[in-house]
Amino acid sequence: MINIRVLLHSPAAASILSLIGTLVFYVVFGGVELGQLVGAASWLNFAANLGIVAIPVGLLMIAGELDISIGAMIPAGAMATAIISGYYELPIIFGILGALSIGVIVGFINGMLAIRTTVPSLIITLGTLVVMQGVVLSASKLLTGEASVALLAPDWAKFLFGQLIGASHQVIIIWWVAITVVLAFVVHLTRFGNWIFAMGGDRESARNTGIPVDRMTIYLFILSATSASFVGVCQAILFNSAQVSGGMNIIFNVIVSVVVGGVLLTGGFGSVIGIFMGTLTFAIVNQGIYFTQIDRNWSSLIVGVMLLLAVLMNESFRKMALNYVGLKRTKTKAVENE
Amino acid sequence: MSTDSIASGGIAARIAGFVRRPEAGTLAGLIIVYVVFAVLGGGLFIGAPGWSSFLNMAAEVGIIALPVGLLMIAGELDISVGAVLPAASLTVAIISGHYDLPVYYGVAAALAVGLMVGAINGFLVTRTTIPSLIITIGTMFGTMGLTLGFTVMIAGSTGVFMTPDDISRALLGQFVGGMFRVTIFWWVAFVVGTFYLLHISRWGNWVFALGGDRESARNAGIPTRRLTIGLYMYSGFAAAFVGVSQVITFQSAQVAAGQSFIFNSIMCVVIGGVLLTGGAGTVFGIVFGTLTFAIVNQGIFFSGIDPNFGSIIIGTLLLAAVLSNDSFRQMALSYASKKS
Repeated sequence: MINIRVLLHSPAAASILSLIGTLVFYVVFGGVELGQLVGAASWLNFAANLGIVAIPVGLLMIAGELDISIGAMIPAGAMATAIISGYYELPIIFGILGALSIGVIVGFINGMLAIRTTVPSLIITLGTLVVMQGVVLSASKLLTGEASVALLAPDWAKFLFGQLIGASHQVIIIWWVAITVVLAFVVHLTRFGNWIFAMGGDRESARNTGIPVDRMTIYLFILSATSASFVGVCQAILFNSAQVSGGMNIIFNVIVSVVVGGVLLTGGFGSVIGIFMGTLTFAIVNQGIYFTQIDRNWSSLIVGVMLLLAVLMNESFRKMALNYVGLKRTKTKAVENE
Repeated sequence: MSTDSIASGGIAARIAGFVRRPEAGTLAGLIIVYVVFAVLGGGLFIGAPGWSSFLNMAAEVGIIALPVGLLMIAGELDISVGAVLPAASLTVAIISGHYDLPVYYGVAAALAVGLMVGAINGFLVTRTTIPSLIITIGTMFGTMGLTLGFTVMIAGSTGVFMTPDDISRALLGQFVGGMFRVTIFWWVAFVVGTFYLLHISRWGNWVFALGGDRESARNAGIPTRRLTIGLYMYSGFAAAFVGVSQVITFQSAQVAAGQSFIFNSIMCVVIGGVLLTGGAGTVFGIVFGTLTFAIVNQGIFFSGIDPNFGSIIIGTLLLAAVLSNDSFRQMALSYASKKS
């Protein structure tokens, strides 16, 4: 009983329920065979590409910020790798480092603008999103003359970043799980995690208690931009080429995954496991529909309804959790009085 | 002599007053951008082809940017416009194209779809504590799914054709002088209406009050819920209107259209000097911002510069606009505190 209660009051609760709800919906109304779905690679690959970006974006959201420039950073990472190591034929390590350092630079700019001004980070990162889209497009056009650049990665890089395990599962799934474990440890067991929650709860108080709020904000923006460019690197190495694609969808997909995962957009509340579960749920809704008898065109409707249901659930769970804490306190007080 | 000096003093004071207004920076940016592209683009850009290309674009984004700006002044966001636009186009195309009913049936139904999505947005925003960004992302996905699902179910493909009658063609899909879309005149009408709403009627004061402090606004007796729902219905209506005008102009509707309007409308509004955090902004600012956005976007094709540089310029303009607004605001605030 107690365990169920504790679970229900954790930030991941709604995402676990959403996941179960989605599966039940697909099994009952879509006639999905669970075994077939679990064995399939498509949704896991989709989830991993999304999840590596969703966790740092979720951490930013917990800290009260938003980063939508990731939508340009994935193609930027892929393009940088392909241009440096494919077009100019430098060793792949330069391509990878080049791509990651572009992530660091953009993240640093986002972070600096976020802490030096009072402009909301949605607008700042909208600016860097548009700028980076232009930079990626014109860089590939000016340097290579084409919108698609080929890349031949050596075996070790293929093995680490672009392998297909069992000919279907991308190796990025392992990266995703590893990053989730490391960040779950950092966020929930070290003081850095506490700092992030404190920043999202009340930035001013966090600063006053001695938390290096500005430095943490910059680190978090660097983390999200760099992880997006890392996903780009992996995609370029896997597909042997990088294309200039203007995909805005990834931005909304990431935000939906994070919010379904129980993170509060206003900051101060959320968990890494929740984001992980939220990403899984989103991926199953989005890709799992191919295993159902439901027409795939309805998948966006299901995503929208699930998002609204999940946030409404989150809201009521959070209220419950707050009431529960109050209840416990009054109970202990009552015990003391007795 | 003396009257002269008074007059010039008055003009100087007026100019000084204007420079401090929020839209002054936007207007300056607009003029600079126009001059730069006029120099680069030459006669073709200064002439009718240039004007029609950027006005056609500005009109479409501008009609949506106005209510999105009002919502932002009131402290809310609307992402769902990007899904309402194709939903409205397809409603017209299915009713008047696929089923061959009169065009005004389709137009009425499409505008009703926009108003309905807006009402749902407003209802959810006012009844829950969920941020409007999340709610409207949810309704965006929902509307997108319904549009795609119903279109494929009814028409069997993701694009639907229609042939509008002459009246609707003249009203909504005409090219005046062969190149200026009639939407431009509708945009002007929307601007006048929104200007009245925001700067003359008491509704405008309410919108500013809402963005400044929602709680105080409610306590002052402003019907904040009704106002918020009304604003969302306006943005749904405007997005649907653009969708209707698109389908009547181009005689076909596509499921995937409209995504670009989400961020484009926000960018126009922000370049126009509206604060995302609410409480400040003007209709002229939004119009100037929209024009600047459209001139950069279309002028780049006349200038001989690689078109991909366009988005770098727009992104930089956006950041410059918000940063200068930010420092102006800080200056204004510190100036006020010094005075006191």
